Amino acid sequence: MDQIRIPGGEVLYKEYLPNGLAVLVLPKKQFLRTFGILSVRYGSFDSKFRVPGGDVVEVPPGIAHFLEHKLFEEEEGSVFDRYAAWGASVNAYTSYMQTSYLFSTIENWRESLAYLVEFVNAPHLTEENVEKEKGIIEQELRMYADHPDFKILSMLMENLYHEHPVRLDIGGTVESVRSITVEQLQLCYDTFYQPANMALVVVGDIDPEDACELVRSRYPERSGPGYAVERFDPKEPQEIVQPWAEAELPISRPRYMLGFKHDPLWQGEDLLRTQITMTLGLKLLAGRSSRAYGELYETGLIDDSFYASFRGLPRLAYSVFASDTDEPETLHERLVQRINQLKEGGVDAAEIERFKKDFWGRTVGSLDSFEFTANRITASHFEDVPYHRYLEVLQEVTAADVQSALQDLLDWDRSSVSILKPVNSRG
Amino acid sequence: MDFTQHELGPGVRLYLCETGKFKTLTCKAFVQQDLKPRTAAAAALVPLLLRRGAQRFPTTRDIARELEELYAADFSADVLKIGERQILEFYFQMIDPALLPEGEKLLRRGLETFWEISSRPYGSGRFHEPYFEQEKHTLIQELEGLVNEKHSYALVRCTALMCSEEPFGIYKYGDVDTVRSLENQEVYDHYQQLVNSYPLDVFVVGSGTEQAAEVLAELIKGRDGRNALHSPQQVEVGAPRCFEEFMDVQQAVLVMGYRTQITYPDANYYGLLVGNGILGGFPHSKLFMNVRERASLAYSVSSSIEGSKGLLTISAGISAEQQEQAVEIIQEQVRSIQEGMISREELEQTKSGMISSMNSMNDSPAGLINRNLIGIVHNQLRTIDEVVESISAVSLDDVVRAMQHLQHDTTYILRPSPQKGAANGSN
Repeated sequence: MDQIRIPGGEVLYKEYLPNGLAVLVLPKKQFLRTFGILSVRYGSFDSKFRVPGGDVVEVPPGIAHFLEHKLFEEEEGSVFDRYAAWGASVNAYTSYMQTSYLFSTIENWRESLAYLVEFVNAPHLTEENVEKEKGIIEQELRMYADHPDFKILSMLMENLYHEHPVRLDIGGTVESVRSITVEQLQLCYDTFYQPANMALVVVGDIDPEDACELVRSRYPERSGPGYAVERFDPKEPQEIVQPWAEAELPISRPRYMLGFKHDPLWQGEDLLRTQITMTLGLKLLAGRSSRAYGELYETGLIDDSFYASFRGLPRLAYSVFASDTDEPETLHERLVQRINQLKEGGVDAAEIERFKKDFWGRTVGSLDSFEFTANRITASHFEDVPYHRYLEVLQEVTAADVQSALQDLLDWDRSSVSILKPVNSRG
Repeated sequence: MDFTQHELGPGVRLYLCETGKFKTLTCKAFVQQDLKPRTAAAAALVPLLLRRGAQRFPTTRDIARELEELYAADFSADVLKIGERQILEFYFQMIDPALLPEGEKLLRRGLETFWEISSRPYGSGRFHEPYFEQEKHTLIQELEGLVNEKHSYALVRCTALMCSEEPFGIYKYGDVDTVRSLENQEVYDHYQQLVNSYPLDVFVVGSGTEQAAEVLAELIKGRDGRNALHSPQQVEVGAPRCFEEFMDVQQAVLVMGYRTQITYPDANYYGLLVGNGILGGFPHSKLFMNVRERASLAYSVSSSIEGSKGLLTISAGISAEQQEQAVEIIQEQVRSIQEGMISREELEQTKSGMISSMNSMNDSPAGLINRNLIGIVHNQLRTIDEVVESISAVSLDDVVRAMQHLQHDTTYILRPSPQKGAANGSN
């Protein structure tokens, strides 16, 4: 297996199986737990694609998430029961560009790992069990709809994007979920759940060769092309939909969120560099040690919930600033001032150097979390980002890079504000 | 892997867990007091005030900069509720000093910073007045904001209604009216008493804990934490009570509260824990299998134990029209356990799941520390191995005997307002 030294000095082992599956193992000495996560490069964005050797099709939103639910179904019993018998736990989640199945266990890691690759490769879809799942997913969607963090972000995405699938909930809508059929699920499964479109990451005190051999010998035979699927994102205009929107929800005080739409143009190391540069830049604008945080907090315009973050994926990029606040309009004015000030100059090299220490510490410390580390390995693999270069790229970034990234990306013509206001409906 | 215990003074204990497996050094200190309305609110203000500034770091910004200089060291404080005790928690984490340049110096600097922020708030003879006034406001907003997260709001409401005549009914952050009436001097004096003369337990996990212990012993010396504390009294349960609350929500949240009459020191405590696991602690549990998988009534449904007060709560996110059906299925699951309708698989799967999650604590610094909280409240720490052994020894009879103590006390439902087209109230 290939050995890759990752940030924090640990060694990641990597191999492609003959069927195209990427196997990545991170040995962690002295830990008792083994964590495995099998991911498919397939998420809520992928509802329009070409069937291998065939037509372009479009399926209802929410289908990747629906499939994720259904793979837990077995002809007899459920996947949960099997893992429970080994004292292991199992779960799954769907995001914009990825569906992941994971287990965590103290004992029986071999059984747990072998079964992970088995159940994900054995869909059991029937009219009856697909219908039954619709009620469960409906409750899941309604749970999120009552959640203010979730609600305000989805509002913002609707105001920034005209066509991009980020406008839609990962789970789809109650109506789209109701319309999903067994045939559509099977088609998506056959198209995307190809080993060459998947990656397995295992973290624990295990021998990498041993784990890799186990997967090689137990991975089910799959028919199918095994190549990357052609996906179609709708053409997204440069412009935003509308600069300002408000809605009501039963919450205690208003929430404010400002978003900037970026073009997702970066690939590989460029993407990594942009992620790091923007993280440093937004920390300078809105971190706990920033001038803005101090001033806005002192004047009561923000509270501890205030944050800024950059999200950069190969098919989507945006930045957000958000806080609970009694005066969203005033907060907006002040933020505009502060952002403009910093765009014009004033990125301080000494601050950037201090942030690098902080960033270094966070990166190394995060290795204590299996989940976080495995997610980062998976994402880097799918996004083709050189994870092993992380801390080197960090050292290369300069104050001038941060300055120009803020100038370029925080473009007011491509920004939008969403505000949630309280509605008092308690009776 | 376990803690060695050292007495630093009367009522002041230091616990060290020496291990090289983590990238971080983690330290948590806990002070406990009896739960009473006024002191609960006062103690809840303290964490908010501490993060505003200390003698050597007068502003939030100064604190944040110092933590950044320490390579992303992390400080936080909070209050927790365990039974009828309120715990003031101080948390500090830094990268393992052995991985840092001039590690030994940074270890001392880190721990001194930790203790500076925890014990020397900014102000003279009381909290800095502007900070005090502002943070009172922040806490009131926090209390009013509880309603924003419907699921946790419903859980808090149910226990508050259920224990309205007992100290346990007090919310961990107190209540709005009490917070509003708090005086700076009063909170400061109480805080001084808390850190100087209430039981203090300090935990350290990482490598080089001996040096850390030396520094901490120096910082903490001269305290006497022998203040006497009380334990909850069991109460008589009358006829079950029902409460409903209306709000403009998409999903109803149902919470059912039971008295267990069994707490941590009781012989059959682990019988109860296993019983709760069979009922609703896992995806293979009766509630998940029946309410979600068979009846498709919910996405989230689970049960949990409060082991110091003696409560069991069941919660589910459901559609309001299906309340009766959900309650019926839930009660049927409780009854079936009380009647011993538990398969060998259910018992074994649950025990091995619990043992696995107990052993998993070894892999997380916070897990290693937090699991001892209930032990310090009851003055009886148990090692991971002891707990594993107790769980292994639980028989089906133990489970039935423990679960027969359950008495249904309160049902609470948060549901959509009737004018939004939902069914009429059921009481």
